[in-house]
Amino acid sequence: MTTAPTKPIQSLPTDRSLRRYDDIRDLLPGIHNPTPMVRINRVLPQATLDLYLKLEWMNPFGSIKDRAAAYLLAGLLERGELDGKEMVEASSGNTAIALAALATLNGIRLTVTIPDGVPEEKKVQLRMLGAEVWPTPDDLCPVDHPKDGAIALARSLAASHGGTRYVMPNQYENADNVRAHYETTGPEIWHQTDGKVHYFLAGFGTTGTLTGTGRYLKERDPDVKVIAVEPQRGHRLPGLKSFAEAKQPGILDWDVIDDVIRVDDEPAYAMTKRLYREEGLMVGPSTGAIVHAASTLGADHSGLAVGVSPDSGLKYTEFFSDYLGDEGSPQV
Amino acid sequence: MMTPQTSLTPADTLDCSGLLCPLPVYKAALALGKLGTGDILKLVTTDPGALEDIPAMARQRGDTLLATEDDGATQTFYLAKGATS
Repeated sequence: MTTAPTKPIQSLPTDRSLRRYDDIRDLLPGIHNPTPMVRINRVLPQATLDLYLKLEWMNPFGSIKDRAAAYLLAGLLERGELDGKEMVEASSGNTAIALAALATLNGIRLTVTIPDGVPEEKKVQLRMLGAEVWPTPDDLCPVDHPKDGAIALARSLAASHGGTRYVMPNQYENADNVRAHYETTGPEIWHQTDGKVHYFLAGFGTTGTLTGTGRYLKERDPDVKVIAVEPQRGHRLPGLKSFAEAKQPGILDWDVIDDVIRVDDEPAYAMTKRLYREEGLMVGPSTGAIVHAASTLGADHSGLAVGVSPDSGLKYTEFFSDYLGDEGSPQV
Repeated sequence: MMTPQTSLTPADTLDCSGLLCPLPVYKAALALGKLGTGDILKLVTTDPGALEDIPAMARQRGDTLLATEDDGATQTFYLAKGATS
């Protein structure tokens, strides 16, 4: 019997130039590891507007929420607020997925209250990551929280039993969410555009992206215009919120918002399909909403615009299937 | 305030003591979902908010709130799954 020669274990430290990493968390974004920006070349009608999409689905856990989740968890750990407790968070999926991945790497249990309407794909991803998932009707608590059932439920879990079991990062009220974008998304965009960005577009959700990125960009250049994209009541654009039906997050800073563009589902999904087919960008419906909003900007808007592409379309196959109907199937 | 009748025999009992609303609503809806039509759930809560939330939940779901007791510290609800004739 022969024994295979042994080789000493080679220690290969993280080397970003080789895209070699010690730990998945080394891929989290920042000024030295920005998410890519890609120019939109075909679907915008304006000749004077150059729109770049920041592809946040290239983050290690699949969405822009990797940034907030990393900062939320780090904040809890630094302040000693976890201290043996579990986490509970309300999320339409992306924050929860990133939090679940980071939590499991830190040996922390996570319970997620998630709106009922969120696609099954996201719920399954969370369960694969070991999170406990509580699908929650929006109108669970019709007396006090008409459209925020998941948030109300997470709050009640955190507060029940004297608050001894759970701690809630609460992305809607936690300044660490804003700080994540002030310290990463904003500087990345400024650097990637050589400081030439004129417009920044993102959707209303937790508003951490708009507030943090907008604040940073306006500090660098007060002329940067921050444009918020808002869905209509009863929309089917996961991750986005209509403040006609949902409570405004405490972290929203209206001082950084210059304009709000309201978008219907139909043009958002139509634009998402165009991004797939004309730009080769496999994005989620919220990206379609943001690009559609950009397409409605008037001729007085010119220059360089950056829009957020929060996540990919891979988590929305159920929604896309509904939208497509029998399109793309054999027609007999 | 209705008084529970002795003839009300719960098929299941759910103790949500110490839980704040809307957690009892969520758990009660799950528990009712596992019962057969007409079966009775006895629900115990300690959050006075349940006095508004549980009747609203019953209306929303189409269940029947048969009786409520409130002694100040504890609320007890008897809910029948579905509408009663």
